[in-house]
Amino acid sequence: MALLNDQIKQQLHDRFAETLKEPVQLTLYTRPGTGRLILPSGMGCATCEDARAIAEELAAVSPDLVSLEVVDVTTSETEVADVPTLALALPGQEARVSWKGLPAGFEFATVVDAIERASSGELGLAPETSEALDRLTEPVEVMVFATPT
Amino acid sequence: MSLANRMALASEKVTALTVEANEFPELSQRYGVQGVPRTVVNRQGAFVGALPEQLFVAAVLELAGVPSDGEVADPQD
Repeated sequence: MALLNDQIKQQLHDRFAETLKEPVQLTLYTRPGTGRLILPSGMGCATCEDARAIAEELAAVSPDLVSLEVVDVTTSETEVADVPTLALALPGQEARVSWKGLPAGFEFATVVDAIERASSGELGLAPETSEALDRLTEPVEVMVFATPT
Repeated sequence: MSLANRMALASEKVTALTVEANEFPELSQRYGVQGVPRTVVNRQGAFVGALPEQLFVAAVLELAGVPSDGEVADPQD
């Protein structure tokens, strides 16, 4: 069952046609075959199927510029343990933007926003922010806890 | 939330991770999430609420131990 209705897909298609310039790589870390059952921590993944559907439908909107790789954490060598995790990168670069959990609701909007900004290079940051980021000498992780609504 | 992503896209030094708090209760508990958005920097300091860009960036850099503009880092720190 499609999670994005035709109207949203059309809106995304129109937006991406206008904003996307360079290819963007999405990677979805998931654990297959666990369905919607909520099992004890670490055993199941109640949202992996929906996360995969959203990621696939999102990539299908602009297949020339948005590619999706699905990684099964149970069979792949990866440091990512929490599923579902969606990561975004420019091709050949390390992913520096990711989402743990189903990227639905408000978080879906941030995924769309990040795809557009990564692809277009138009980050919309103030000059003062760029100057501040230039002062960084060590890695900084910014972890934001959110809810879908 | 989008600000963290944009900072990560702008700087190779920054990684942004959004966590759906309800799906990862152990992570949420570990980092004291009682309200959202809660921003945790380098898995240490944190602040709650959506801040305008200038304040958000300043808070992140302060929690990361980056001297503010014009401030000289104290080597004794």
